[in-house]
Amino acid sequence: MWKKIFDWLDERLGLNDIYKNLLDRPEPRGNWWNTLGSASLFLFVLQGLTGIFLTVYYTPSPDHAYDSIQYIMEGVAFGWLIRGIHHWGASLMVIVVFIHMLRVFVTASYKYPRELTWLIGVGLLLATIGMGFTGYLLPWNQRAYWATTVGTQIAGSVPFIGEFILKALRGGPDLSALTLQRFFSGHIWMIPAILAALIGVHLFLIIKHGESHFPTRED
Amino acid sequence: MNDEIKKKINERYERELNRGERFWPDSIFKDLIVSLGIFAILVLLATFVGVAPEPKADPADTSYLPRPEWYFLFLFKFLALYGQIPVIGKIEWLATVLIPGLGIGLLTLLPLLDKSPYRHYSRRIFALTFMGTVILDIVLLTVMASLPVPPDAAELAASTTLQAIGGLWIPAAILTILVLFYAFKRDIYRESTRRSLPIFITVAGSLAMVAMTIYISARAASYPKPEEVEVATTLVDQIVAGQDLYSVHCVECHGDDGSVDVIEGVEGLEGEEITPINSTDVLYTITDSAMYEVIAYGRPNAGMVPFGKAYGGELSRSEIDNIILFMRYTWDDRFEAPEIPALFPPLADGEVPSYEVHIAPIVKRYCISCHRAGKENNDYLMTTYEEILTTGENKDKNIVAGDPNSYLLQVIQGTPIMDPEKPDEEMIGVMPPKGHLKPDALDALIRWIMNGMPETAEDAAKLFVAPTPVQ
Ligand code: HEM
Repeated sequence: MWKKIFDWLDERLGLNDIYKNLLDRPEPRGNWWNTLGSASLFLFVLQGLTGIFLTVYYTPSPDHAYDSIQYIMEGVAFGWLIRGIHHWGASLMVIVVFIHMLRVFVTASYKYPRELTWLIGVGLLLATIGMGFTGYLLPWNQRAYWATTVGTQIAGSVPFIGEFILKALRGGPDLSALTLQRFFSGHIWMIPAILAALIGVHLFLIIKHGESHFPTRED
Repeated sequence: MNDEIKKKINERYERELNRGERFWPDSIFKDLIVSLGIFAILVLLATFVGVAPEPKADPADTSYLPRPEWYFLFLFKFLALYGQIPVIGKIEWLATVLIPGLGIGLLTLLPLLDKSPYRHYSRRIFALTFMGTVILDIVLLTVMASLPVPPDAAELAASTTLQAIGGLWIPAAILTILVLFYAFKRDIYRESTRRSLPIFITVAGSLAMVAMTIYISARAASYPKPEEVEVATTLVDQIVAGQDLYSVHCVECHGDDGSVDVIEGVEGLEGEEITPINSTDVLYTITDSAMYEVIAYGRPNAGMVPFGKAYGGELSRSEIDNIILFMRYTWDDRFEAPEIPALFPPLADGEVPSYEVHIAPIVKRYCISCHRAGKENNDYLMTTYEEILTTGENKDKNIVAGDPNSYLLQVIQGTPIMDPEKPDEEMIGVMPPKGHLKPDALDALIRWIMNGMPETAEDAAKLFVAPTPVQ
């Protein structure tokens, strides 16, 4: 019975091909350090899921953002858990992505033929940090407000175009409802879209070239 | 890179694959374990550490010390130390744009810059020592940035200098030497006996950086810790916080229960007619945001001063919000108040109250509104334990351990203290001037003074006298 269903699906979806090409690949002898990339991926997915739950109650306006988070923490069943995971997950994701980058650096896995994988990776690192920067403002508390004030100021110190960057980030000369709306949009749509696209290419390249082996004296 | 080398690399990789493992299940198995472990850590962190509460954003409160997310702290520290350098320290964008930009640029172009086909560590001494120094500096700068602020200018100058040496100059020196070797004596990095010189310099420099950071941290251990601000997060806590703030800032004019319609006994506002703020007229017609503005901006024409920080007052956004919550849940009949815990735990027979558990909440609720700096109070301040015992024009008589005639005990029990020189003039009126303390609060204050004013719960517990059973 199961075999029949599987065969029917296999004929149409090519399950066996997928299995052969994606899962049943040879790899160099593995190492625990090589799990950090997939751990980054796991954290990205986890942040996405918990983040989606948070948007059910979160309101991106200076009048309501703080109270809506308060409500998530106190009023919503398991809201504290979802927010707690999202909060700590953000920090952990930065750490894990960073250490993943370090391990790729130390094993020199960015060399031929994986140069592009590294390039995309730098984009991923910057996007991950961008997620942290935009997400930090959303609770609209003192810490968030003042950190973003200083953060955008620093971005505004670029010669010549600093003024423009500052206004583009803040939506005006000061932090306001527009800033919050912008950061929210960046945090839930723009940067995740970029991240997802880059991760897609990153994974494609990894499957194409295979995981590099740990260097020995021969290399 | 020529085709021959590429071919060699690919053949070498084939060989590794042949003696390797399968993606499924070998690699995926490890990945799953690590991801599960991460998930477990996150659930534990969310459950047992939680998210630290913070007060609501208050654009008017410019005294707030900005702190970025922790993974930006190293940049923050770097900027602060860089700003101390003479001349170029003033050119801000060198540090905010050029150096981070250079870092990201190097990172991005790494595969194009590092064209050597070798991957083994022994052939990448330059890359590894360079990166190692940068990473170590990032970690150490993060540590330095999270230390408490030095208490005075001299210590600040000393600490900044030490931090600049450990976090800026030593790493800059290591990196410069490494780059100079690379530029002029590249042989030194090749696999040979001499390759140990760059490693030696990096390790020695790193040890110096770490030692410096430990020394700076040790100095910082004696700095005063920044005060932890408590943030009310549950509704009950917010209402209680609001009531305490109301007691401090509003009671003088509006009374304990908000019912005052003619102000009495307040200098400059004597006889002023006001609308009772516990009335439906006020509560039903003024929305929370309008109420916020009234409290923040005041009613200058009617004599109410601004309380919001934005207008020169003392109260932050969260604090005003809490006062409004207190008003709603106490007087507005459309709101159903949650169970509010007692001001202090009830006292058993023979139990002696302590300052920290019993007296502080009573004083905060009923006395501090007048007995703090800037109010008319015969210089008797009551905001801390020390102040209560040692301030005021009558400090020898206000509180005398074991003396039922202590001024404080007399006035809270309805006996004013007369001026010894003019016997028919009150020197201290009854306290609190309007209304009186609830019997349990009165009892607590009497027991406290009669038993020698213990400060901590521990001290109070030692004074506990088990009641003798009545025969
Ligand atoms: C959201 C962030 C990221 C995700 C989800 C991710 C995902 C992955 C995964 C699943 C792998 C294969 C398993 C492994 O080697 O650990 C991998 C490999 C790799 N990653 Fe990432 N990565 C991220 C960020 C980065 C960054 C920041 C860099 C470098 C700047 C980078 C460069 C590479 C390279 C060069 C490889 C190939 C390593 C090899 O074949 O040995 N990645 N990545």
